[in-house]
Amino acid sequence: MIYLSQVIGRPVRDQNGDAIGTVADLIVAVGERYPPVTGLVIANERRQIFLPWSSVAGLDTAGAQLSTSRLDITKFRQRPNEILLKADLLDKQIVDIDGRRVVRVNDVSLDVVEGSLHLVAVDVGAAGLLRRLGIERPYRTLARNLRLPLRERFIDWEDVDPLETSIAAVKLRVPHAGLAELHPADLASIIDQLTPKDRAGVLASLDDEHVADAMEEMEPDTQVEVLEDLRPERAADILEEMSPDDAADLVADLSEATREEILALMEREEAAEVQELLAYPEESAGGIMTTEYIAVPATLSAAQAIDRLRELEPDAETIYYVYVVGDEERLVGVLSLRDLIVAKPDTPISQVMIDEPITVRVLDDQDHVAGVIARYNLLAVPVVDDAGHLEGIVTVDDAIDAVAPAAGRRRLARGLAR
Amino acid sequence: MASPASPPLARHFGRRARFAAVLAVLGPGIVSGFADNDAGGITTYSLAGARFGYDLLWVLLGTQVALFVTQEIGARMGLATGQGLTGLVRERFGVRWAAFAALTMIAANLGSTVSEFAGIGAALSLFGVPAPISALVAAVAVITLISGGSFSRVQYVFVGIGVIVSAAYIGSAILAQPDWPRAATSLFIPHGTLNGAYMLAVVGTVGTTITPWGQGFIQAYVVDKRLRAENLGAERFDVLIGALIANVIGVFVIVACAATLWASGQRDIADAAAAAVALGPLAGPTASTLFAIGLLAASLLGLGVVPLASAYTACEAFGWEQGVGWHWREAPAFYGLLAFFIGFAALFMLIPGLPLIEVMFSAQVINGLLLPVILVFVMLLAGDRRVMGDLVSGPINLALGWIVTGVLVVMSAVLVITSFAG
Repeated sequence: MIYLSQVIGRPVRDQNGDAIGTVADLIVAVGERYPPVTGLVIANERRQIFLPWSSVAGLDTAGAQLSTSRLDITKFRQRPNEILLKADLLDKQIVDIDGRRVVRVNDVSLDVVEGSLHLVAVDVGAAGLLRRLGIERPYRTLARNLRLPLRERFIDWEDVDPLETSIAAVKLRVPHAGLAELHPADLASIIDQLTPKDRAGVLASLDDEHVADAMEEMEPDTQVEVLEDLRPERAADILEEMSPDDAADLVADLSEATREEILALMEREEAAEVQELLAYPEESAGGIMTTEYIAVPATLSAAQAIDRLRELEPDAETIYYVYVVGDEERLVGVLSLRDLIVAKPDTPISQVMIDEPITVRVLDDQDHVAGVIARYNLLAVPVVDDAGHLEGIVTVDDAIDAVAPAAGRRRLARGLAR
Repeated sequence: MASPASPPLARHFGRRARFAAVLAVLGPGIVSGFADNDAGGITTYSLAGARFGYDLLWVLLGTQVALFVTQEIGARMGLATGQGLTGLVRERFGVRWAAFAALTMIAANLGSTVSEFAGIGAALSLFGVPAPISALVAAVAVITLISGGSFSRVQYVFVGIGVIVSAAYIGSAILAQPDWPRAATSLFIPHGTLNGAYMLAVVGTVGTTITPWGQGFIQAYVVDKRLRAENLGAERFDVLIGALIANVIGVFVIVACAATLWASGQRDIADAAAAAVALGPLAGPTASTLFAIGLLAASLLGLGVVPLASAYTACEAFGWEQGVGWHWREAPAFYGLLAFFIGFAALFMLIPGLPLIEVMFSAQVINGLLLPVILVFVMLLAGDRRVMGDLVSGPINLALGWIVTGVLVVMSAVLVITSFAG
């Protein structure tokens, strides 16, 4: 294994052993798990010469040995999938997908895999930093004698997500595939750490659903920032993917002009749901409820209800409760999923449901709602209006968020007026 | 799918209530401006006012322009890149330059931090508090504030202390009953006889206002506050206000000392605390107390900002998590550096017989050596479209920036040569 810092600046010798310049950079083609080195950039007096890797016989800490004595002095043109290790990666910021944070590259490690040199990992530890400063060896001696720790930290290239803004030379479209596989909460935390430019690149590469999931995990301030960086059409698409209660909370934080513009761009149905939720005070049951719940007519049998469950709303926030409604969406009962499954298929659900379920009113305070959920050990509580019509449900997680918003969260209110 | 031509939503924020939007952005320039008058600043102005009277006021007007130009570029770089100064230096010029900038800045800032403690100790000793106690209390207070994990609280406190500084010095200047017409003319027309001591005072006055840490601080603070490209207009206003504040305070300190110490012939004072004491018989006990309170508040603010700037700078250079919004466990290097900085400087304070004015002066010399290097980096980055994108500084800004850099390079050379020769 060799480090990039150990070969940069070392002599390059041609077939006859004559020094013709120094190693200026290495080129790799990204895309594979471990990108192969495809070229060498030689600094020769004031010129930079590009050589394909096929003309290089060997590379180690003593320098590069060429298998040719003829230099083709063509100007270097970077291909779209290629990055320069020194210019584009060294000292730049990357996302450590495994560690879920943004870090700076101290060094790059290369190794021979199946007979050719590949980029294997980036060094983000203290040892790499000291090596770059040229004091790794003295420090190691000192550390050994004083029994000081020296932190070595490598990130396998597979877990590295390079950021576009660092790669100035090319318009490399980084797929950010690794980021898309993260848990939304981790993705949210990484998006929070990115510079605005990098954030734009990452958001552009992720699909609406991923962004929406991550948005639901962000602090309100960050949500607004992220949304404002998007084009209105994309912002509307992402809001449609979010659950209506989260979308409504976010939309409520926008300026009036922006809010109207976005709502106009959303699908009519989703926009209507959001608008309906916006009408309730923020800290009331209506303000924290979601409209994604499952309601079935009281006239169904258990089997019909289960069929209805299958065809209805697979993205309802909770399916453990099935609400039973009578005329005009009036709430008449509630069934747990368990009740429904153990009931004989042809039993009318009105016989197995719990009559007069526990409810809260739309204008009840969120603390009251949380209290009701805690007292009766519910996963969700239905929200009704004065006439008893089912308007939505508050799930236990939204109730917790409402009464303990800052618990365990990192960034509190920022700035003077924010 | 949307057409690529439509602009991001943020553009629409012109329509939002302008006033609220500007208010939300304010902070980095103002805090930086307040902090430019830390213990070293107040001391320099006090000595200048006592020694040269009103003669040096014109320098502050010039510094005003230079401070605005350099701070505007720093803020702009933060907005454009979302990164701090040493992070950008590392990306463009390599890790060695970044390490050099970070380590020299830390060395200079350590000296400045000691002088903040000296200022706090001197000011509180006028109220009968022994130096070890005041150092301990100040250190604990500042670490608690910054590590609290709330950016807005930190900013409120910084601005609040800055307001106290301004009020205290404006108050003591008015009580000193200065010769206002003379002060006004001296502000706009250079006065005084050109000799070595005068030149050194000019350089010192500029050098205490425009500092390497000030440059690192505004950029890092803009990033930590998470301001963005579309905040540029409001942020420039913020920087302008900050530069004005910095120099208004300087003017009042000089005026207060000129009207009393200089006018009555007490032209050689040891430091700012001595100026506060000497003010008593000349302008009354209230003026003296106000002057001491100003020194205390200015030193406290410096004690908050200088270590913060150092921690930002080192973490940017070496790639560690940083920011006032994080908690201890998430950014251990950042808070570790802050604690080390404040703790180390506080210990220094306890060395009996430490020549504090020499420490302060040494810190200024290191800052003077470092400033040209930092400003050249800043200017090279500010004109680089690859770094700055659309926010790249325009030709007029760049020209002004290079002129300021050139003048400061010459001044730093003068400061360093005279300090070694003398």
